[in-house]
This record gives sequence, C-alpha cells and structure tokens, in this order.
Amino acid sequence: MLQINNAEVIYSDVILVLKGVSAQVPDGRIVALLGANGAGKTTTLKAISGVLRTELGEVTDGSVELDGKPIHRMDPEEIVRLGIVQVMEGRRLFEHLTVEENLLVGAYMRKDAAGIGQDLAKTYGYFPRLSDLRRRTSGYLSGGERQMLVMGRSLMARPRIMLLDEPSMGLSPLLVKEIFRVVRAINDEENVAILLVEQNARIALSISEHGYVMENGRIVLDGPSERLRENEDIKEFYLGLSDKGRRKSYREVKHYKRRKRWLA
Amino acid sequence: MTEFLQLLVIGLLEGGLYAMVAVAMVLVYKSTHVVSLAHGQFMGFGALAFWFVLVQLKMPIVVALVLALCFAAAVGWAVERFAMRPLIGQPLFAAFLTTFATFLMMDGLFQLILKGESASFAAYLPLGSISVAGKPLPTTQLASFGASLLLFAGLAVFFRFTKVGLGMRATAEDHQLAQSTGITVRSIFSYIWMLSTVVATFAGIALANVSDIYFTLPYMGIKGLIVALVGGLDSLPGALLAGLLLGVLENVSAGYLDPIVGGGVKEVAAYVLLLLVLLIRPYGLLGLVRIERI
Repeated sequence: MLQINNAEVIYSDVILVLKGVSAQVPDGRIVALLGANGAGKTTTLKAISGVLRTELGEVTDGSVELDGKPIHRMDPEEIVRLGIVQVMEGRRLFEHLTVEENLLVGAYMRKDAAGIGQDLAKTYGYFPRLSDLRRRTSGYLSGGERQMLVMGRSLMARPRIMLLDEPSMGLSPLLVKEIFRVVRAINDEENVAILLVEQNARIALSISEHGYVMENGRIVLDGPSERLRENEDIKEFYLGLSDKGRRKSYREVKHYKRRKRWLA
Repeated sequence: MTEFLQLLVIGLLEGGLYAMVAVAMVLVYKSTHVVSLAHGQFMGFGALAFWFVLVQLKMPIVVALVLALCFAAAVGWAVERFAMRPLIGQPLFAAFLTTFATFLMMDGLFQLILKGESASFAAYLPLGSISVAGKPLPTTQLASFGASLLLFAGLAVFFRFTKVGLGMRATAEDHQLAQSTGITVRSIFSYIWMLSTVVATFAGIALANVSDIYFTLPYMGIKGLIVALVGGLDSLPGALLAGLLLGVLENVSAGYLDPIVGGGVKEVAAYVLLLLVLLIRPYGLLGLVRIERI
C-alpha cells in the first residue's frame, strides 16, 4: 500500500506547490487523481517517484510511505527498484533508441534475463502494434504508439504500482478506449496498482475504484468513484453536466451561479 | 600520383590516432555534456604508465598494457568522483573549467616526472617496415592504426550489444528519464569516465608508439578536441570520419603546399578545417540532429 501523508512540496526553497496532500493507493487497485491544470497532480506523482528531487523540488513536510516505510528521501532509481514506476507526462522516449531498446531500458535494473524475455513477449501481447515496430527508431512514432511504448516500458520494470500521467492526452477517442482497455488489463492480470492522473474525468472515474480531486495543491474531495460520479460539483465542473443531468448548454454557462461546495 | 597515394596512406594512419583521442572526448560529452580538456593528460599519463611497466620494470607487453589500462580506469574513476560529481547540478561551464584545472595540474605532474626528457618504448616492440606504394611504412604506425580500428569496432559492439552500453546510450539522451527507469545515472557517469580514460590511454600508447613520450604529447588532446568538434561532439562515427579526414588533409596539404609557402601548413590545416566546418555545420559533420516530428 502506497500512502501519502500530509505531504508538502516546495520547489527551489520558495514555491509552495503541494500544501498537505494525503492519499492512498491500496495494492492492486486503480485510483484516480483529478484536477485542473496546475492543481498539483503531476507534482504529487513526482513526489512519489522521487523525480521531484532532480527538479529542485523537495517534500518538506509529511511523508510518502510504501508499506509503512518512508520513501520520499530516496533517489528515483531506488524507488523504481521498490516497484513504483512513473509514466511521465509528455510521453518521453529515448528517441534515438529503437522501440525494443526502449523496452529493454525499462528492465534495466532487473537481473533475471529469462523474466525480461517473458515480459518482453507479454508487453508485445498487450501492444501488438509495438511488435511490428520493434526495430523502428522510436523518435518517429505517432502519439498513440508513443503512449503504448511508454506504458510498455514501465511494464518491463514489473512494477507493483504504476503512476500514469495523462495517458489520454491528445489521442483520438478510439485510441483512448484502447489505451484504457490495456490499463484495466494490466491492473487485472498483472495485479499492478495504478495511480491515474487524468483530465478526462469521465473515463478516469469509470475505470477507477477511488478518486481524489485536487485544487490549488490540496485534495478537496475524495471518495469511491461511483459516488464521485454522482457528486453535483464533479458533474458540473468535471463532467460538464448540469444538476438536471443533461448536457450543459454553453449559452447558459454562468460560472458565478454555482459555487464549488468545497470552497465554502 | 604515387606521391598523393603515399600522403593519403600516411594521413589515414595518423588520422586513426586523432580519431581515437577524439572518441575519448566524445564519450564524455555524449553522456555528461561536459567538454573535457583533460583528456590530453590522460593520454600522456597512460603512455607514461605503459612505458614505466614495460621499460622500467621490464614486464611483458601484455602485462604493461593491462596495468596501464587499469591505471587509466582508476584515474578516470577518481576524476569523476572527486572533480566532476560535486559539480552535478552546477553550470556546465564550471565542469568545463574543472577539466581545464585538471589538465593544468596533471601537466605540472607530467613534466615533473618526465623532467624535460623523452621516453621511448619503440625499441621494445618488434620493429620493421612494409612497403606501401613504393614507400616504406614503419610497422609501429600500422600497429597503432590497427589498434584504433579495433578499438572502434570494440566500442560499436559494446554500445550495441551490452546492457551497460544501452544504459549509457539512454543516459546520453535524457538524464531524468534514465533515472526514472531505474538507471543509476551517477554510476553511468563513473563508468563513462573510466571508459573514456581507458580509450585515451589506448590512444596515448598508440601515439607514443609512433612518436615517443615527450612533454608535447598531452597537447595532442587539442587535436583531439578539434577532431571531436569537426565530427560532432556527440558522434562516435563523426570522430572517426573527422579524424581520418584531418589526418589526410594535414598530410596532403602539407605535401603540396609546403614547398610553395615554405612549411608550416600542417600546423594550420586543423584550424582551417575547424573554422570551415563550424561555419557551415556548427554541430559538426555527423553531430546529432534532434529528432523532431513536424
């Protein structure tokens, strides 16, 4: 179980980004983290994966714990070895390496050659498209193929917990569906827990069991996903539905009419 | 025509040595983005270590080679650990200057050891010459050239097929991403410095094999830097190409122009080439052009 306890994150000693965030990701579950741009979702993921420290950020208060042991002072490569892998936003690849080499880098810290071979086959099973492209220089892949490759690469680490940052960004609805089918399969079959950061609240809440909503560096709302889906504020601000449950007409949009209840 | 052929062959042989020096610098730049000025000294000290074991201790050549390369790796490890690692996260210019400081310190040490004399191990190696296009070529030069080709092949295999090689290539592209996939970037840096000092030592021995160890040997590092810049600071094939190109250009231009202008063309040729390449292709002949999908 991954646990974030009242974590406060400061960049460059002055910029307060997370103001006490608490959340948990139980083993083998999918948890969604929602919020507008700049709310602190990605920073939360970076605080977990340790990448924060390479960007002059620091967890200054609270803690990030895996099975009760604090991990927020560790280097990113140590955290990967514990089984927590971040799929960073922006689909970053080693662009001059081939598709297969990218996948093998994902298994870099593993020593079991046989297991790596199996996982390579498994990854190609989840993403048949990558199998066709295995010798291709990865810098020339399309957006969807890149998304498959970054997910495949993190799968190669045989993770316990995958931190997935905006997998649907900029992809066609069909491809988004496909990507999330695989996310669910990874969770089901590999028993990988997933912390999912998404702008697409509808799909994130349909796939996850628990959800957190962030705003301004704080968690403002959380609960089981089916309850969040029914929450009036979520409907209004994240799913684009009015309280009557029909699609909102943009002619009637008046932001001051409804106040987010959690601000009260 | 035979004269041209002779100049060409000599140029290629010399160019192979330049390429080796350049490769050592390219290795460091590619992974750590530090331009190293210290590599000339790594060559000098490597050659010196080889000479010490071979000539002073009268050990067999294989032992001398192995010990010299081990010594080189130790130097590389120490430089990375004590000079470069504290500067991680600092401006690259600081690291660049630190390599210069390393060069100066080692230069003083080098002259202290050598005391203005020259050291030679040519006499301990099988000598002789074979004739190419009617001109005799010393076997030492051929051996050095062969060694440099072997080294290139070895490096290519290393980067292509080994795990650490893959880790180095990944690190060269994106430090943060490499770290987040579980690569310990610091130890990759350490390996890279060790590998590059080993390559530099290899180059130093090959060079000293042709022209003895003298206090000017470390300054061949400047030639290496020029070659690295011409080939593209982050390109290994570029270093090979530019090394051979420079070797040929120096010898051919000197062969034809020296009688006209009265000598010295060889000293200038490298800088003319560098200037031209930087004007036309600032990132070098084969320098990495970032992949950008449009």
